[in-house]
Amino acid sequence: MSMLRGFLILVLFFLFGEALRLVFLIPVSGGVLGMILMTLTLMLRGRVSDALASASQALVSVLVLLIMPGVVGVFFMASQFSGQWLAVSAALLLGTFLSVLTTLLLMKQMVRLSARSRTHE
Amino acid sequence: MNELAGRFMAIPDILSASPIFAIGLTLSAFFAGNWLFSRLGKPLWMPPVVLSAVMLAAVIAVFSLDYVRYQEGALWITVLLGPATVALGIPLYQQIHHIRAMWKPIVVTLPLAATMAAVYAVVIAWAMGATPEVLASLAPKSVTAPIAIGITEQLGGSVPLMMGGLLITGVVAALFVDLLAQWLKIDDERIVGFALGLNGHAIGTARAFEISHTAGAFASLGMGLTGVFTALILPLVFRL
Repeated sequence: MSMLRGFLILVLFFLFGEALRLVFLIPVSGGVLGMILMTLTLMLRGRVSDALASASQALVSVLVLLIMPGVVGVFFMASQFSGQWLAVSAALLLGTFLSVLTTLLLMKQMVRLSARSRTHE
Repeated sequence: MNELAGRFMAIPDILSASPIFAIGLTLSAFFAGNWLFSRLGKPLWMPPVVLSAVMLAAVIAVFSLDYVRYQEGALWITVLLGPATVALGIPLYQQIHHIRAMWKPIVVTLPLAATMAAVYAVVIAWAMGATPEVLASLAPKSVTAPIAIGITEQLGGSVPLMMGGLLITGVVAALFVDLLAQWLKIDDERIVGFALGLNGHAIGTARAFEISHTAGAFASLGMGLTGVFTALILPLVFRL
């Protein structure tokens, strides 16, 4: 019961996010808007109810299950892109390698900088 | 007797018309994938999501089930992705003190890294002669699926190709984050989590929750911010 109540809160936030997206033509999905609203609401309230925490934990732990049906679609993709596979794979592999490297280096550098400025203060 | 055999043969066709069949199939593949993953010794380069997806695809192909019908049934599972995305706001809130302490690095890193995630891929594909449709499908490769679908449609790309790119990106991002973090001697779970979410969307975030709650919260943050930022910026950039 308690978990279902938490689930209902998540669904309501999602629907609210979708409504915002549709009314204000925001190019961001209702889920992400709902997530932002959820975080802000919790910050205002200052605590998470047990119902919400358990529903959230249950859903987050099966995130992989939820994306699986979409992932399977890859294997049933029409071969309309034949001849471009090399470009696509290179872009995905090399591109992701470079962007991960960029993120890690930037974060590491910035964390070091902000830690240093804090000790100077 | 023939009648009985006839009725027996008709069973797959009748059962697969109901969404509960697609749900059963997906759940079975999910558990089988997780089981195989632990049997293989949890290899990083072969995450459970890939194992499960390959098995699921194989079953659909071998029994020549209707893929479109499977997708319709599986909608009962995929619609939960919406509330699940909202649910990521809870770990985000629980780790808010960590995030507050890190807001400066995050504000600087996010716009640059999220832009570069798209730029690297598009430039490499463009240099190798990919068509504009393929470029539009690759651009949102680091963005979480529900947002990426919207972006791809707006840019005129192919959604199935984008989903394929998303999967591969998520898997290799999780792999590269592990490798590069070791190589760069980064053991800060906050940095590792953020990089996982920023580059590897939901797959990276799922991986981050395996590491720790803190890494997971930072991955949720990275995934959410990248999604919002890319959705706002990419349509503007692509017009140029």
